[in-house]
Amino acid sequence: MNKWNIGLIAVVVGIALFLSTRPAAQVQDMQAGFLSLLSPFFRTGTAVQEQLGSVGAGLKTLDQLEKENVTLLEENRVLLTTNNLLREIEGENNQLRQALAYRERSVFKLLPARIIARDASTWWNTVTINRGFADGIETDQPVLTEIGLVGKTTTVGKNETKVLLLTDETCRVGARIEGTKEQGIVSGIRVQSQRSTGELHLNFLTKNAPVEPSQKVYSAGVANGVFPSGILIGTVVEFRPRALDGQAVLEPAVDLSKIEDVFVILGAK
Amino acid sequence: MKNTIGLAIFCVVLFVLLLVQSFIPPIRFLEGARLLLVPALFCYAALTLPYPAMLAAALVTGFLCDVAYVHVVGGQVEIAVGWSIIYFVILGSIASGFRPEMSRGRWWPVIPLSIVGTSCFLLLQFVMISVRREGFFFSPETAWRILVPGLLAGPFAMLVHFVVSFFNQLFWPRVTQRHSAAARSY
Repeated sequence: MNKWNIGLIAVVVGIALFLSTRPAAQVQDMQAGFLSLLSPFFRTGTAVQEQLGSVGAGLKTLDQLEKENVTLLEENRVLLTTNNLLREIEGENNQLRQALAYRERSVFKLLPARIIARDASTWWNTVTINRGFADGIETDQPVLTEIGLVGKTTTVGKNETKVLLLTDETCRVGARIEGTKEQGIVSGIRVQSQRSTGELHLNFLTKNAPVEPSQKVYSAGVANGVFPSGILIGTVVEFRPRALDGQAVLEPAVDLSKIEDVFVILGAK
Repeated sequence: MKNTIGLAIFCVVLFVLLLVQSFIPPIRFLEGARLLLVPALFCYAALTLPYPAMLAAALVTGFLCDVAYVHVVGGQVEIAVGWSIIYFVILGSIASGFRPEMSRGRWWPVIPLSIVGTSCFLLLQFVMISVRREGFFFSPETAWRILVPGLLAGPFAMLVHFVVSFFNQLFWPRVTQRHSAAARSY
């Protein structure tokens, strides 16, 4: 090997070492830049996929479409009425909480977003959505659907954001089990089996916790935490007593492999 | 000039592959293993490009792989950006040893190199994650996710070789004929 090649190796390794010492914020900036570069291709790719997928699904008769339209209109009217009633109840609830000197329950602003890409990496569970800091998204904001919790935002680009899914081992959520006083921490597992829709573990429960299958698990809303309380995480499938504590195996409420549309909680209205 | 064009084409194809990979879902019946095409492409480039161009390819490949898949949670980077560059420099240096075979028209080294290169890339990622998360466990699913992408990378590398050979024949027929003659006489 000649001196010229050795010098080049030194330069390349030097660049690698320089990059490895960059702080997390700079790494996220680099990733956000790269996401912005890929974003137009992701959007086009997703649009093409949707077009291809909708070819079969779109073939409906006019009668079917008319029926569907009538049902949707009716559903919309019911939902609007329910929403108005709930708004009244919410106001009344806040007035009563004020009267009792409780903190007013905050209502969150939801930003709808669409998944434009799924992470191609083997060990991490993330997706990319089509909203970014231009829409008011910041790092560590909860992401959910109308059914339950999906995950939280990590790297935020201008018009795209990476979302860390609940099934990832590094996504941890304080949780409580419905009908009990049991609280623990929910996290995903490192290598999810593809036979199921994803598996979550609720750790640090009491060893003899009165936990039964099919009980629902909600976010606990830890002080200064990322996730607000009361969001459905999943359902208990199994309880395992361990040497020092108990562990519940959960099935996520949302099928994370199939979701397409999500909401990002931007903060209090 | 041909090497510069080769490196430029490599960069474009690499970018396209990173995009394409995002749209390929995991293979459910193979325990969720994914198709990982980038290391196989790099192996082919390392076997065909001269050493300095291979180093440039390693720099670009490593950087793009790290930036695309870097995992930042709670203000901490799980695997430092830059490790892939070093990995591809080592893999490329090993591959460069087989370059004389390649120039004689023997393209077989690209298959074992792609298989081993892809699986080792995933294995190293898994080991680094395990060290970082302070817990090491190895399940059958883990083995599948490391080995299957490697096994799929072999045929992909072969496909890359045939596509490149076809275009080589199209644009540099005299060089290709000289290589073929050298391979026959060897």
